[in-house]
Amino acid sequence: MSSLDVAWGITVRSLKLIPRYPSTFFPSLIMPVFFVIAFSGAFSGLVNLPGFPATEMKDWILPMATMQGCAFAGITTGVALARDLENGFFDRLILSPAPRRAILAGPLLAAMLRAFLPLTLLTGVGLIAGVHYRAGALTVVPLAVAGVGIALVAGMWSVGMALRTKSQQAAPLIQMMLFLGFFLSTALVPVDLLTGWVQTVARVNPVTDVLQLARQGFLGDITWETSRPGLLSLLGMSAVLGVFANRGMDKVVP
Amino acid sequence: MSIAVAQYASLSRRSIVTTIRQPIAIIPSFTFPLLFLAINAAALERSINLPGFPPVDSFLQFMIATTIVQGGLFGAIASGSAIAADIEGGFFDRLIATPVSRTSILIGRLAGSFTLAFTQAWLFFGVAHLFGLTVDGGFLGMFGVALISSIASAGLGSVSVAIGLKSGSTEVVQGSFPLIFVSMFLSSAFFPRSLMEGWFKSVATINPLSHMIEGARSLVFRGWETSEFLMSLGIAFAILVLGLTLSLLALRARLADKA
Repeated sequence: MSSLDVAWGITVRSLKLIPRYPSTFFPSLIMPVFFVIAFSGAFSGLVNLPGFPATEMKDWILPMATMQGCAFAGITTGVALARDLENGFFDRLILSPAPRRAILAGPLLAAMLRAFLPLTLLTGVGLIAGVHYRAGALTVVPLAVAGVGIALVAGMWSVGMALRTKSQQAAPLIQMMLFLGFFLSTALVPVDLLTGWVQTVARVNPVTDVLQLARQGFLGDITWETSRPGLLSLLGMSAVLGVFANRGMDKVVP
Repeated sequence: MSIAVAQYASLSRRSIVTTIRQPIAIIPSFTFPLLFLAINAAALERSINLPGFPPVDSFLQFMIATTIVQGGLFGAIASGSAIAADIEGGFFDRLIATPVSRTSILIGRLAGSFTLAFTQAWLFFGVAHLFGLTVDGGFLGMFGVALISSIASAGLGSVSVAIGLKSGSTEVVQGSFPLIFVSMFLSSAFFPRSLMEGWFKSVATINPLSHMIEGARSLVFRGWETSEFLMSLGIAFAILVLGLTLSLLALRARLADKA
């Protein structure tokens, strides 16, 4: 059995666990839909701020909520791995002749595939809610690239944490970091309209660039100049967190 | 009479001490609202210049009442979790085997919620003052906000106690947390109703939390207004009465099951 077969086998198992443990995956679908409804409604007046790039708040919030859904979908693979570590399944996997990199690749590939569920759902919600897809069908291309990318990054983060803590109890901490990543960026308003320390943090937060990549088709044309920072940020975060997950895997002793 | 008072005092003290001894259960209710306050105060500061925004000095001044109520409501869940943990651990069965007053079991828990929320309110005011908060209602205004938040917290605490008594499961009680989250977001807790539109504004208008928080907020930026305070306090009391009714019914049902 090749490394590819092992990785794919673990990926398929991870996807099959979705209907078996709906309570762990369901929030990653429901929460972003709720965010679209609540934030678009509660903060609808923000679009009247001079310099706000969207005409309706839902155009600004939907891509952000989609990214959150994708990130949470990615995180669920780490939580599932923690469950495997708790119940002993992961020990049996490690003792098998399967290469460790293949065992690590499985959940990460699953994280990327899981992202397509919130992507599809939120795109449907956007169409029903009358969100403007200003770049036409192409709008969803950078959205999907950013969504799959952020799911991989979140998957690496959660897998790395799961391998270190070996406990599902770490889930709130894993999620908290993700929340902070989003809310210390341009989640609600563009960076120029932020003030104080949040503006400083948002300028260097790579999530800001990822949101710019995801949002561009909802606000205007899709360009390479707008896409590049987001793609580079995803690449950078994947490299750093990839090392983090990889080292976590090396430290696991059955 | 003195025995009844001693029972109430003893179970109230146990509830408060249990809460203090479980920092993991109360830390989120202290840290999350402060974190949201810190982020929103900087992220949404420019929005106070929008036409129709209430005449506040800063977004911090607009948000502080929300933060205090939010902290109180988050902490209220701990009461339900604690009583569910008592049921899971068998303490509840041992307690009802004694001749202790049944209502003291509930009142003890609510005292924990009330005390936590009241302490938290002053802590939040203290932290916000360090970052430039001014309260036009002065000490009386801050006391009013703390009281409203504490009574609402005791009310929601009694709802979570009812859920804990009914289910006997800490997981089920914790699972009710999103309901608070949703109720807060579907109100004017985070942004004024005057800047909302359409169906969302209608939902926020019929949500009693909107009016409770707006009343508390006015004590912060408008100064003391008795009518606003009484309206807000009345809603908090209504939540308390509803919660107490539900928790008494749940307690009666559980005692009937044990009989």
